[in-house]
Amino acid sequence: MKTILKIALGIIAAIGGFLDIGDLVFTTQAGALFRYDLLWAVVLGVLGIGVYAEMSGRVAAVSGRPVFDVIRMRMGFGIGLVALVASTAINLLTVAAELGGIAIVLELLLDAPYSMFVVTAAIALVLIVALLPFGGIERIFGYGGLLLFVVVATVFHQNPDWGDVAHGFVPSLDSSALYLYFVVGVFAATLMPYEVHFYSSGAIEEGWTEQNLKENRLNAILGYGIGGILAVALVIVSGYLFHPIGVEPSDLGTVALPMQGAFGETGLLLALGGILFCVGGAAIDSSFAASYNLAQFLGWEWGRYQGPRKAPRFTASWLVFLAIGVAVAQSGINPVEITEYSVVFSVVALPLTYLPVLLIAGDRSFMSDFANGRIATFLGWLYFAVIVVLALAAVPLLLITNGGGG
Amino acid sequence: MRSKGEIYVVHRLLDEQICDSDGRRVGRVDDIELRGSPPRITALLVGEGLYPRRLPRWAARLARRISGPETWGSNALRIPWEEVDELSSTVKLRKKAEDLGLGMGDDPRRWIVGRLPWN
Repeated sequence: MKTILKIALGIIAAIGGFLDIGDLVFTTQAGALFRYDLLWAVVLGVLGIGVYAEMSGRVAAVSGRPVFDVIRMRMGFGIGLVALVASTAINLLTVAAELGGIAIVLELLLDAPYSMFVVTAAIALVLIVALLPFGGIERIFGYGGLLLFVVVATVFHQNPDWGDVAHGFVPSLDSSALYLYFVVGVFAATLMPYEVHFYSSGAIEEGWTEQNLKENRLNAILGYGIGGILAVALVIVSGYLFHPIGVEPSDLGTVALPMQGAFGETGLLLALGGILFCVGGAAIDSSFAASYNLAQFLGWEWGRYQGPRKAPRFTASWLVFLAIGVAVAQSGINPVEITEYSVVFSVVALPLTYLPVLLIAGDRSFMSDFANGRIATFLGWLYFAVIVVLALAAVPLLLITNGGGG
Repeated sequence: MRSKGEIYVVHRLLDEQICDSDGRRVGRVDDIELRGSPPRITALLVGEGLYPRRLPRWAARLARRISGPETWGSNALRIPWEEVDELSSTVKLRKKAEDLGLGMGDDPRRWIVGRLPWN
């Protein structure tokens, strides 16, 4: 029992906040617009991030190479640089969106103006990173994010027509562009590449070796599975409450309303608390990912475990990225809008960072006996095909639907 | 004629992470110097001054403006092949980074953040 608990806690910590602002926004909107019809796209995304994370965690543990190390090795300097620039731009948008998300939640909880809280949030994150070791940072946001299980409780409280819910898991393609845009959005929000870049670098931070491969597989299946359950629950509660009355949620506060409907003030507070930890964890993950990527690509010393003395450029770049995130979040653009752009463009850039990991994970000269087996190879290439199709469709759909505005 | 094995080594070395004798990450193999016939690897070339030559010509001009013209000893270094100790998942060097002029970018004295309290 004790070991099971220990494993469970490890998984929860490894995956951090489970959901980020992109998940919250896209699942709630998907539920409001299409009720349960997009549940299958959540599952598609969860399986995708599981496959991608398992491969990059395995590559990191066996060959000691995090994602951008692999990219530079496999794609070379030129194409690698394109992947780096694109990923950094998207990561900075994500950092801004998550910081904005923290500020919105604090605004709702404390009833003071939004603009105060962006800087406060960034300072709080710097303090957390300064005071805690890597594992401690992961645990705070991982355990705190569990508050969001109030969403699952809300599903059972609402007791929706389970037949309708089950029907949503069957893939269906509506011809409307808005529906297709949300297929891309829900999938992309679930499979944000920074999560995997952070995860694989985290494996190096924690000194993983081949001994940790079982842990890696459990993280990929159960850890991202928990995130998947929460995302599914968010679609259901939103579909149940907002779809019949035609509400289109356009801010983060709306995400928490179904939980207030079910459990009153307690439900609201649990939901907002869970959102705060998830979005806070995602702000750390995405800003760290930006610095990991840059340092790995250029061969700098990196890692929280090295500290700012041994890895000053890594630390300095992190502070700069956080500051840029603050500036964008303060610019007055709605964080929900920033989120949509960061999510949609992330899927456009995804093939560039996914392919090298897939190639190295299957390469016996790097991975010896731990290279992709038949199932991993099949799933890996299947998902590469899915990602390429969605990457090609993303921008046209964004333009046709006017950013999901219809 | 180069043998297949030699081409493979060059392919595997290029862009690889370099670590010094203490295991510090001190840069990447940005280019490789080959001399003689049949060609032999004589040195690893490291530094941001080498980035422009890794890019297509139209992008190289912009890159040169950012990284400065290639200046040997400052933004481009030549690490003789004899300094390489071991090839594993990184290129491990025989000496400390300082002795080879590498890793100066991560010198804590050059960075205020090096004095931050969370070390």
